[in-house]
Parts: sequence; C-alpha cells; structure tokens
Amino acid sequence: MFSKAISYGSVWDYAAPESVVESQRWILSTMQKYGQELVTMLWRILGNEQDVCDAYQDTFLQLAHFEGGQKPEYVKAYVFRVANNVAVSMLRRRIAERNRLPMSVTAGKAISSPVKELDSKYLQENLRDCIAQLPEHLRNVITLRDLAELSYAQIGRILGISAATARVYRCKAVQLLAVWMSKEE
Amino acid sequence: MKMTEMKSNNKCRRIRAWLYTAISRSFGPEANWLHDHIMRCPRCQRRLISCGKVNLALSFMKSQPHGLDLLMRANTQAIAVLKHSLSREPKAQELKRKLPEPKLLERCGKYGHSVANLAACIVILLLMKIGVFSSMDKFHNQGQQVMKQYYARQVGEDLADEVFPKDTKPPSSANSRGFANV
Repeated sequence: MFSKAISYGSVWDYAAPESVVESQRWILSTMQKYGQELVTMLWRILGNEQDVCDAYQDTFLQLAHFEGGQKPEYVKAYVFRVANNVAVSMLRRRIAERNRLPMSVTAGKAISSPVKELDSKYLQENLRDCIAQLPEHLRNVITLRDLAELSYAQIGRILGISAATARVYRCKAVQLLAVWMSKEE
Repeated sequence: MKMTEMKSNNKCRRIRAWLYTAISRSFGPEANWLHDHIMRCPRCQRRLISCGKVNLALSFMKSQPHGLDLLMRANTQAIAVLKHSLSREPKAQELKRKLPEPKLLERCGKYGHSVANLAACIVILLLMKIGVFSSMDKFHNQGQQVMKQYYARQVGEDLADEVFPKDTKPPSSANSRGFANV
C-alpha cells in the first residue's frame, strides 16, 4: 500500500511540472517574439542597461502571473503596456532620487548654455524627465510610436484607440514636451 | 452595378488625392505664406525651435546604441525568475544565447540600391526590346510597300500583286532574291 502511494506520488511529481511547462511555454515564445523590440524600447526609455534588464524581468514576471498564469487575450498589447509602465515607474523613481540629492551635486544641470542645449546626453535626460511627467494616454503613444517604432495602427490596437486618435495624441504629446523642455531651460 | 461602384470609387480616390495635394500645397509646412509668417513671427519661431528640440532629442535617444549582449542578459535575468521547469526548456537555453538581429527590411536595405539598379536595367532592356521589335516590324512593312510600288511601276500592278499578295507576307530573304532577279 505504502509503496503504491509512493509510486503514485512520483508519477504526480513528474506529471505536474510537465503540465506547467506545457501551459506556460507561450511565455518563452512571447519572449522570443517580442524580446528584441521590448529591449530596444526599454533601452530608449531608461538609457541604462541594468535598469533595462530589471524592467524586462518585471514585465515577464507580471506576464507569468497574469490571472494565475493565464495567457492574456492580446499578448503583444499586454507586454508592451506593462513594459512601458514599469519603465516609466523606474524613471520616476530615478528622478525622485535625483531631486532628493543636495543642490550642490545637481547644480551643474541647471546651467543653460547654447553648447549644452545641443548636448545629446542633456537633451535625452531632459526629454526623459518630461516624458515621465506626461499624462498616461499621451505618454503611451509617444513611447510606442517614437521609442518602440510601432505603426499607428499597431499602437491603436495595443491601446484600444483608433490610429487617427493615436496620431492626435502624439501631436499633443510633442507640443507639451516642447513647452516643458523650453521651460526647463 | 459593380462597374459603376468601381468607377465612383476611382473618382473618389482621384478627388481625395487631388484634395490632399491642394490642401498640402496651400496649408502644409511647405506653404509660402507659412514660411513668410514664421520668418517674421518670433513666437512661432520659438515654438518651432522647441518642437525641433523634441525631435532632436528623440533622434538622439533612437540613435544611442546599447550593448550587443543586452538582449541575452535581459533574457537570462528574466528566465531566472520563471519556474525551474520552464527555464530548463531548450527554447529558454536558446533565448539565453540570443543576440539582436536586424529586421528583414534592414537586412535587405543594403541590397536596395542594387535591386533598384537591376530593375531599372531590366525595364530599359524591355523598353528597348519592345521599341526595336516594333520599329523592325514597321521598317519591314514600309520596305515591302516600297518594293511593291517599285514592282508595280516596273512590271505592272498584276505582277506586283502576284509577287506581294495582300494576305500573305513573303519572307524577307525571298523578297531580296526576287528583287535581285528583277
């Protein structure tokens, strides 16, 4: 009796991981399919390799735990939106940490000069700060369009809006960013 | 019914294209009145400069390259937190070694110029071939007419019709022989 129980137990132990693997193999397929695009988008949003790895890990962790391991209906939309949100949260955290630093450390950033205006690093950081402040609907469009380089039709499908609305949002986002970037100088 | 629908669709398309060109010519960024206004308006200049700055910053962001092994590292880190059984999958091992690959369009981009050149050459050759053949045919017909007229003048209309019947065309070699004999 006891030996039988053991044998049943071992069969169950063997079968359970197999079924888990079978039901979650789509996560690896998603990683293979969208990994490169996601990494590119995260890199452009964050500009730091370790942060990219962390955000990527968070994205797939959330995907694996979506409604108890269920596959979302539209996986691409889910991963892109999650990655976007994770990256922006990290960006905001980074900005908050920088703002907590004493003024003497960040004093160099406040000085504005024509040379600095064209400094690529300064411009990028400035834009990242402004993107993090954008309202969610505008931020999603600008990151998906300009940083993930998706088409308006794809963005529309991901965000559940029409391509024309995505265009309008992008235009508004650029206008807002332009105003904020010129104010910060 | 379908034909009329298709015709109206074509008309709509033509009108749309025409409207687009007309509107972009008068109200697009290349419009003269807009250029004149921007040249004189400091407020618009400031706005344009700041929009340009946003676009410049976006281009900087896009052109910044990341490490070649970033995808590999990100995959490895993400797989490490997945279930052990999943991380032992052969696909997972493959992902851990994956390097970024250029898109198909980017890969074919370097051949784009050569493909365009080749296509242009083929088109030119085709046009030349069509042109040469059609003119050869034309020359052949004209030559035959001239010869027929010559025969008609020299030996009479009946004999010329016999040598050059209206329905059939004699081969060029036969013509030349016939001409030589006369």
